[in-house]
Amino acid sequence: MTAIKLENVYYAYEADEGEKPVNAVDGVSLEVEEGSFVAVVGHNGSGKSTLARLFNGLLLPDSGSVTVFGMDTKDEKQIYSIRSSVGMVFQNPDNQMVASVVEDDIAFGPENLGLPRDEIIRRVDRALEQVGMSEYRKSTPFRMSGGQKQRLAIAGVLAIRPKVIVLDESTAMLDPKGRREVMDVIHALNKEEKMTVIHITHYMEEVQEAERVIVMDGGKIAVDDTPRAVFARGEQLKKYKISPPAVTLMADALADCGADIARDIATEEELEDAICRLLCKD
Amino acid sequence: MRDIAFGQYYPVSSPVHRLDPRLKIIFTLMYIVTMFFVASYFGYALVLCFLLTVCAVAHVPPKAMFKSIKGIIVLLIITAILNLFFYAGEASVEWTWWIFTVSPEAIDFALKMMFRLILLIMGTTILTFTTGTSELTDAIESLFKPLNLIKIPVRDIALIMSIALRFIPGLIEETDKIMMAQKARGADMESGNIFKKIKAMLPVIIPVFVSAFRKADELADALDARCYQASPKRTKMKKMSFAWRDLIAFLIFAAFVAIIFLDKYLWGGLDGYIVQAFQSLMG
Repeated sequence: MTAIKLENVYYAYEADEGEKPVNAVDGVSLEVEEGSFVAVVGHNGSGKSTLARLFNGLLLPDSGSVTVFGMDTKDEKQIYSIRSSVGMVFQNPDNQMVASVVEDDIAFGPENLGLPRDEIIRRVDRALEQVGMSEYRKSTPFRMSGGQKQRLAIAGVLAIRPKVIVLDESTAMLDPKGRREVMDVIHALNKEEKMTVIHITHYMEEVQEAERVIVMDGGKIAVDDTPRAVFARGEQLKKYKISPPAVTLMADALADCGADIARDIATEEELEDAICRLLCKD
Repeated sequence: MRDIAFGQYYPVSSPVHRLDPRLKIIFTLMYIVTMFFVASYFGYALVLCFLLTVCAVAHVPPKAMFKSIKGIIVLLIITAILNLFFYAGEASVEWTWWIFTVSPEAIDFALKMMFRLILLIMGTTILTFTTGTSELTDAIESLFKPLNLIKIPVRDIALIMSIALRFIPGLIEETDKIMMAQKARGADMESGNIFKKIKAMLPVIIPVFVSAFRKADELADALDARCYQASPKRTKMKKMSFAWRDLIAFLIFAAFVAIIFLDKYLWGGLDGYIVQAFQSLMG
């Protein structure tokens, strides 16, 4: 089933007087399948964050339509069922928390939905379990690491029980350890709970873990393919100001020098295997 | 800057933390009023003892409470000086030097005013030390519910207040960071007279404001994304209800207030008796 469907969507932010508004999203059509793991990449200003905010009706398209499980985001009556099916995690964990105690913050979403008390408690328990932070229930996020805070932000979204989770550069401010923690959590959600994940990032290592990559450039979809196929484009990606992961670049360079190595290598193990095989042959 | 403790929650479990947040807000308001009725040094000592006891019961380090004064130290000094030299009451003796006149009564008055301010701040911080921001929101919402009748959005106002409290440490951290960044680029913030110092703060204040607006923007998106106002009837995870411990806390607090009032109106300030007793003891 299609989770999110965009049809010929345009969106422009208000421009200063005398300036022509530039389309941040410029004629995008796209379908996201339920249960898939999609990565969205692109340089600054390519329109990827704007795209994310169109998914749950935080922004409404100037023209074209965004449908979430058959509901149009322009339909005001359905905006809250749309927002409770598409959860969104933002870049800075500090700016998403409303309460100074972990459990209170996670309860914020379900409380807004007007759920009964025991259901809220059940959801808070479950959400904390899902991100592996149950023992922090009563503590305050103020002194936690970035990775922990971001996991709590994810828990806060999970308590709404969304079917799709959109991460808008949620790993950008974290150290490598924190990024790993967050990636592990969202992979578990995707694999075990069959949750649809749309991950906006500029870390190529995270992209290669997705099933599908959308490269944004100038508000348009430039490439839409599997990570392997995208990385295999090598030098071409420079046009969009992104670069494949180091392993792929290395394989590419070796292939350029005449080595018999595939250009679409995406992981360190694969490169290791390929080089070993090459050396054994000689 | 980082030492300003105001608005920081201490996540421990204690009888004070478990009190009904509405009661704690009422206590704090009553405490503020009571502070203006403290008449003697004995009274101030009693208030301090009371606060230290509350700290001990709440498992909050008293050091944290004392730290909260740091933020108002300039205010304290200015009020003390003004009270000292512009005391308008009757004076038994006057010591005059140039244009300054000081009397024992003025010293007494300035000291008491200073204690009053210090204890006011220390006492009110206990509320934020022991009450989470969403508990505060719920309590304010519940206490001011009648205002809903005249179309005041109590719920929104309560949320705004608790978010403001939650963001204080973050903004202080941000200010610190920006100050360091400007210092690293050669900004001089320590030397010069007061006007120069104020001017030197501009390159700090402007980025702090810009970042505050950016934070507010992202928070607004986050609130929307988490379905704020999705349902007209917002439910609560934590139920607020009075328990036995609330009654006990009320009795203890009432006794404390009673002694302060007795000291002022019945005993006329115990200081005199204490001095007398001390003198007779010394022979």
